[in-house]
Amino acid sequence: MNEAGNLYIDLQKNLIKDGPKFLSHTLIVKEHKAYLKPTISAMLFCVVYIVIGFFLISLASYVYYDSAKLDLAIFLGGFGIAIGTFGVSLIQPFLKNASFDKSTGLFENSSDRNVKLARIVSLQINNKVVLRKQALNYSCFELNMLTKSGRRINIINHNNLPQLTADAEKLADFLQVELSDHCRQIIL
Amino acid sequence: MKKIQQLLALMMLAFSANTFAAEGSGFSGVVASLSSAVDGFFNDYTGWFVSLIFKSVPIGGANFPIIVAWLLLAATIFTVYFGFVQFTRVGMSIDIVRGKYTDPNSKDDGEVSHFQALTTALSGTVGLGNIAGVGAALAIGGPGATFWMILCGLLGMASKFCECTLGVKYRTILPSGAVSGGPMYYLSRGFAEKGMGGLGKALAVGFALMCILGSFGGGNMFQANQAHAMLTYAFDVPSEYGVITGVVMAALVFSVIVGGMPSIASVTEKIVPWMAVLYVGMALVVIVANFEQIGAAFTAIFDGAFTGAGVVGGFIGALIQGLKRATFSNEAGVGSAAIAHSAVKTKEPVTEGLVSLLEPFIDTVVICTMTALVITIAGLNSAPFDGAGLTGVTLTAASFTETAEIFKYLLALAVIMFAFSTMISWSYYGLKAWTYLFGEGVTAELTFKIIFCFFVIVGATIQFGAVIDFSDAAIFAMSIFNIIGLYFLMPVVKQELASFVARVYSGEIKRFD
Repeated sequence: MNEAGNLYIDLQKNLIKDGPKFLSHTLIVKEHKAYLKPTISAMLFCVVYIVIGFFLISLASYVYYDSAKLDLAIFLGGFGIAIGTFGVSLIQPFLKNASFDKSTGLFENSSDRNVKLARIVSLQINNKVVLRKQALNYSCFELNMLTKSGRRINIINHNNLPQLTADAEKLADFLQVELSDHCRQIIL
Repeated sequence: MKKIQQLLALMMLAFSANTFAAEGSGFSGVVASLSSAVDGFFNDYTGWFVSLIFKSVPIGGANFPIIVAWLLLAATIFTVYFGFVQFTRVGMSIDIVRGKYTDPNSKDDGEVSHFQALTTALSGTVGLGNIAGVGAALAIGGPGATFWMILCGLLGMASKFCECTLGVKYRTILPSGAVSGGPMYYLSRGFAEKGMGGLGKALAVGFALMCILGSFGGGNMFQANQAHAMLTYAFDVPSEYGVITGVVMAALVFSVIVGGMPSIASVTEKIVPWMAVLYVGMALVVIVANFEQIGAAFTAIFDGAFTGAGVVGGFIGALIQGLKRATFSNEAGVGSAAIAHSAVKTKEPVTEGLVSLLEPFIDTVVICTMTALVITIAGLNSAPFDGAGLTGVTLTAASFTETAEIFKYLLALAVIMFAFSTMISWSYYGLKAWTYLFGEGVTAELTFKIIFCFFVIVGATIQFGAVIDFSDAAIFAMSIFNIIGLYFLMPVVKQELASFVARVYSGEIKRFD
């Protein structure tokens, strides 16, 4: 527990329940800017859905024009649209770049409101076990930041601890803030 | 263990060689040759295995598979040994599911509650076994097979109670943080406690091998095969286009099990229970719409159970089909459910056993009976019951369509979702068995996942035949090793049950109303 005025903040608590079972992003630091870059493997798994969706929609069109089987065309097209849309929704978070820009003095990502870099107090590494109902459970890790107002914001969330630790150290160095490891033993 | 990996690779190579050697004209010819090659391959290389597992003894004009008697006997023994736990403790099971023994203030983040575990396991068991399996049972065993399915479901509740309790009790936390449990672990660890570590290890290895084969067969090829059969029935898609269904399903399965995408797994977990609701809803519509025929349907079921009219082997023939399909559907005694249930968060293993015993009841006694009523009411399944006419998923689909044409489309949707979710579940079971044999590691796990996806395509491409026999045999073979273990370890379960019940009555375990 950390105390900030009358506010108690549990730095061990995870911010996101779920997380990917692969390395989703790496941190790139260039002069005055640090930003997250999605990995190719992460993008490829999202593209699978878009490709399948597009294929099924094309197949539906072919079936309709070739044999006029409207029911099959609707069935294939419906599945294609659902899978393709799902793929697009999956890929969007990977395309939204989170960045720490010293020239503007701002942290920007697409889901949270901008934070002034001067208001970032510290970075924390947290761990969790993602429980899957129909698959293997797996460990996942978060890099989170704490602001002066007590707000906690997730920066990175994936299951490659060595890469996350290296990126966290790089970012802490870039921002000149404290980095702490809050990984705990999780007993299921 | 490396030898087993090499053997599997060799099987795939041999199969590929057969396939490419096949001759045919055009796409249909190639696919027909491929189908024939795969069937021939399985017949040549796995026929002995199928014959061994389904070794039969002649009883009353029918060949009674010993494995079916093995499962039935075990379920009966567990029922008696645990004092008819499926009837005497059913109230307690429902209370556990309703959270009456869970402190509402102690719930942690990410906890898998008993109710969640039940819905998860149900969405894994309610699937093609209830749709295609019942269709196959009635096509060969007549309406009377339903009665034996119900009996098997009721007795199987005790088997499931026993195996799921042990699954939680002897589970382990792997270095990755993943919870691992199931027969592999209770056989090796439970037997080690009794000073029979060697036997336990041998049984665990045997179970793991059969579980891997079962995951490729019933948990994969059968699902893909029946998913495409449903498309063929509902939309007149030529059966040779199964390769397209297979490739699309394999790509989606690949993205889930190799990519580890959390979102698709979550979506599947959310959709599948609704598919079960859709299926039950459709069955209820058919039953209610034909309300006046329910009495006659039940008469046909009870008469058929004991006379076996029109069934090869008479009532014994009906009994065999009923028991086989019920086991395939509810998986009681097979050991697979113990793997899924071991991930629950509980300090009391027996609570998970009590929750799990509801599954065969809902799966077989309720849902399979509903399917059987739909088929019997539709009247498309008539004597002689030799499987020559409509069978499997097509018999069920045709029976639903008798009431409303739209049902075949809804059923197609449900079947594809069930097939997909069952493949994901069985990839999990298979992977657990694989990592038990070969250890955790990126290469070992990736090898399994790629082979698994390959079999999705094979399953959707080939016709019913030797492959389905193999699928059946592998799933039933799991029960050989599992049930031997359950016999040795059932005193542990009895002790757990007695302790839990005593603490509930003494007030040590609080009830939260």
